[in-house]
Amino acid sequence: MKFKNIQLLRAFLLSFVLFSCSESEPEEPKGAYEQGILIMNEGNFGTNDGEIYHLDPATQALKSNVFEAENLRPFAGLLEDIVAAKGNLYLVSNTGKVEIVDAGTFKSIGAVSGGLDQPRSLEVVGSKLFISDYGPYDASYATPDSYVAVVDGLNGGLISKKIKVSNKPEDLFAFGKYIFVAGSEEGKVEIIDAEKEEVIKVLEVDGHPAQFFEFNGTVWLYSIDDEEVYFQTFHLDNLTKATTNALPVSNATGRIAIGNNNLFYLITSSGWPDYADGVARVSVLGPELDLDWMRGSGFYGIGYDRNRDEIYVANSNGFQSNGRITVFDKEGMEIRSFDVGRGPSGFLFYN
Amino acid sequence: MILFLWVVSLFGFIPVSQDTVVLTEVEVYAPVLDRFAQGQKVISWNKKKLEDFQGRSLADLLQEQSPIFVRQYGAGMLASPSFRGTSAGHTAVFWNGLPINSPSLGQSDLSILPTIAIDELSLQFGNAGALFGNEAIGGSVHLQTRPEFGKGFKTSLVQQVGSFGKFNTYLKGGYSTKNLSLSTKIYREYSKNNFPYRDLGQIGTPEVKEDHAEFNQRGFVQDIAWNFKSKNQLKAAFWYNEADREIQPLMGSSTQDLQSDQSIRGVIDYFRFGTNSVLNFKIGLVKDDLLFNQSLSKTDQYFFGGDWDKTVSDQWTIKGGLRFSQIHANLSSYSSSDQRIESYQSVKFEASDRIAFSLNLRELVYQDQWAPFTPSLGMDWLLLKNDEHELMIKSSFGKGFKVPTLNDRFWQPGGNEDLLPEESISGEFGLTHQIFWGVHWSNSLTYYRMNVDNWIIWLPKGSLWTPANIRKVSNQGIEYEGAVKGKIGVWNWGLKWSYSWNRAVSIKGIGESDPSLGKQLPYTPQHQSNGQFSLENNSFSAFFGTFFVGQRSITADNPRLMPSYQLVNIGVSYQNIHFKKISIPVSIQVNNLFNTDYQVLYLRAMPGRSFQFNLSINL
Repeated sequence: MKFKNIQLLRAFLLSFVLFSCSESEPEEPKGAYEQGILIMNEGNFGTNDGEIYHLDPATQALKSNVFEAENLRPFAGLLEDIVAAKGNLYLVSNTGKVEIVDAGTFKSIGAVSGGLDQPRSLEVVGSKLFISDYGPYDASYATPDSYVAVVDGLNGGLISKKIKVSNKPEDLFAFGKYIFVAGSEEGKVEIIDAEKEEVIKVLEVDGHPAQFFEFNGTVWLYSIDDEEVYFQTFHLDNLTKATTNALPVSNATGRIAIGNNNLFYLITSSGWPDYADGVARVSVLGPELDLDWMRGSGFYGIGYDRNRDEIYVANSNGFQSNGRITVFDKEGMEIRSFDVGRGPSGFLFYN
Repeated sequence: MILFLWVVSLFGFIPVSQDTVVLTEVEVYAPVLDRFAQGQKVISWNKKKLEDFQGRSLADLLQEQSPIFVRQYGAGMLASPSFRGTSAGHTAVFWNGLPINSPSLGQSDLSILPTIAIDELSLQFGNAGALFGNEAIGGSVHLQTRPEFGKGFKTSLVQQVGSFGKFNTYLKGGYSTKNLSLSTKIYREYSKNNFPYRDLGQIGTPEVKEDHAEFNQRGFVQDIAWNFKSKNQLKAAFWYNEADREIQPLMGSSTQDLQSDQSIRGVIDYFRFGTNSVLNFKIGLVKDDLLFNQSLSKTDQYFFGGDWDKTVSDQWTIKGGLRFSQIHANLSSYSSSDQRIESYQSVKFEASDRIAFSLNLRELVYQDQWAPFTPSLGMDWLLLKNDEHELMIKSSFGKGFKVPTLNDRFWQPGGNEDLLPEESISGEFGLTHQIFWGVHWSNSLTYYRMNVDNWIIWLPKGSLWTPANIRKVSNQGIEYEGAVKGKIGVWNWGLKWSYSWNRAVSIKGIGESDPSLGKQLPYTPQHQSNGQFSLENNSFSAFFGTFFVGQRSITADNPRLMPSYQLVNIGVSYQNIHFKKISIPVSIQVNNLFNTDYQVLYLRAMPGRSFQFNLSINL
């Protein structure tokens, strides 16, 4: 009935130096929406009222419903992920479309609208878009036909191929010509060769993969199960698993923010009967392991502004009303709070 | 006015009621609606008025001609009623006295209750847990078939053709003698529903044709009534309905969901008429199969009950009864069953021919729990009656309740067996004034106030959604209705209009900082109105109807409001085509005359202007 799976977000922009060209292009002035913080509001199932808010953290000026304001039409979808790449912003809607806007102006420049089922995330390699998708539900609400869709064209277009992957793929991560797929249900990481457009390797990993991120010079996977969370790394030369750090954080929801000083902030939710939410603060490289760093209820998303050392916690208000963001300092003291859109679930910090 | 203030000061809040429509002639087995609903607001549509809506759904009728708001999820899609700011699950729906709401969902879909299947429709407003039991919080909807006696043989065939592939066929036949009545109806309603709309979910918002909203409904209704040994009647009704629908996706969604609903409803009543008394035994069956894509939900409800209604004296009438319900549910996520026993008692006291009071009580037990005890008290007082005027005061107070639905209690994962029933209390006060000056002019005004507590909502908890008794809601409102009718030469004309104001706010929500506190509930317009003008003579009739729905918010804290809209429908018909004994009435109507672009619910496309042509052959 009510499916509100954990969605993932890109906590910050990744810049890759691996294939950077030798000539440096003159830096263009940044557009209004390419600075500050984008707040992703997922929207309510059955209402399609997902939207983006923009916050200028210096002045705290908040602009609501940016997509509708710039395009004079509603976003009309459930916003699952925002991916910034090559001057574009890819707005991935769980309702079966990807809207593509100019990152600076938020003006619509394209879309992928046909052939998707329940897209979750996106990655760009060369001129191709790779879109993870649960595929359709079967009779028992399982998703045995999950795939990664391929679209040739940075501004969207038609799907040229669907690459079958394990059930419920979530986050994607591009490394060179490879795309790592977080196979959340079956505990797998599939690696797709972007040129051949096929899975070339399947790695068994611990927990349910939730999100990839770059940290300390390598690629990490954050995954969860009921009792523990896992931080795993990969050998990028031969595409095998490298290290696994398991931490005793129970009931993690899969939402993570990467702070400064090797600290990670993880949302937890105790479930029945107390339904107490919290934030655990942990470190992989350091000794920090504070399972009870923050307590509350209704936590739905989390982000970390590494410039200002501020943590953003999103409360969904049960999707009955619009959500609310509370900003804390790095010690967890509340600084301010403000209302945003329906089901705030993630942030994109331009730093 | 003094009395009005007296009621306010005595009870702290003002309950009000009014009655716009003179109830149909009281039959010996008149439902409780007519006998013990003193002080309650009731609106009814008879067979002829329902025939005007043939080919359109109950949802359209209620939205266009009553103060309730119908939440329509697209053309021919799920349509659920909201009485006085309550939710769809706060409306009890009865067919020939059987509660037909789905026990798993706790509501009915008005789109798949075709008007052809019934002969009479009544709406009762406000808490009536005592009279009608579970779910009668905002109000109740009563669908009736009515046997006719002594009318001989009648048949008719109706064919309707309309825009967007509409093609409806109705075949009715009836035979009745003084003691036996048989009636059969067979119908098919089909619409391709490929209406054009502006797709806000696509770049450039192009105009596209809806390609996934096909509606195909078929059914069969059989009524039998038999009077025997002068004081006995056996009455049976059977209704089979099946509806196959492509579920119209939200704009911006690409879902291709399919839904098939199959319902079997059957009821047998035995009446024994004594001296000033009626004894009734009733058995009933309501069986619903809902196939959503490949996921099947089956629910079966069996009812067995009886009651005894006795007119003790000129002043006192009493009634008492018992009902057992056995419910089985078999869904993809869970299987469960529920048993309910309820007893009810009613007393009516007619102090004079001008003033009558009623007291109703009901106690219900489900599983091992008591539902809240629900009394209600009502009064009708004909304050003034002469050749020119009639002024009536209606007032009632009552409680209502809703047993948590089976999905609320047992859905896996997330169902919560510890849920308490939702509970409500309401009161209303109304005035009805009628003037007879050549034209017949009536005005009625109702003020109501209601609280609903332990309102169940589903909330996300971690990665799971689960229901809890969260919300408390305070509702109040005013409903005004006016009508005037008269005759000029051979022409009968009539004008009806209504306006309702409804304020329904959350007074308790998720914690103290819940931004919805003090705000209007989502998808609950504060203002609604409608009006109809009709003109007819022996062979020709025409109507003009319009209705207005005010702004609605999408979320409980009201940051985004959907625009109000007003639609206009018109129609003409000509009845005077005869061929020997056969009459062939024809009619044409235009719905949404001005091709207004509107949405009832956010991003759910609705059709623009449409035409409908009806041809009947009556024998």
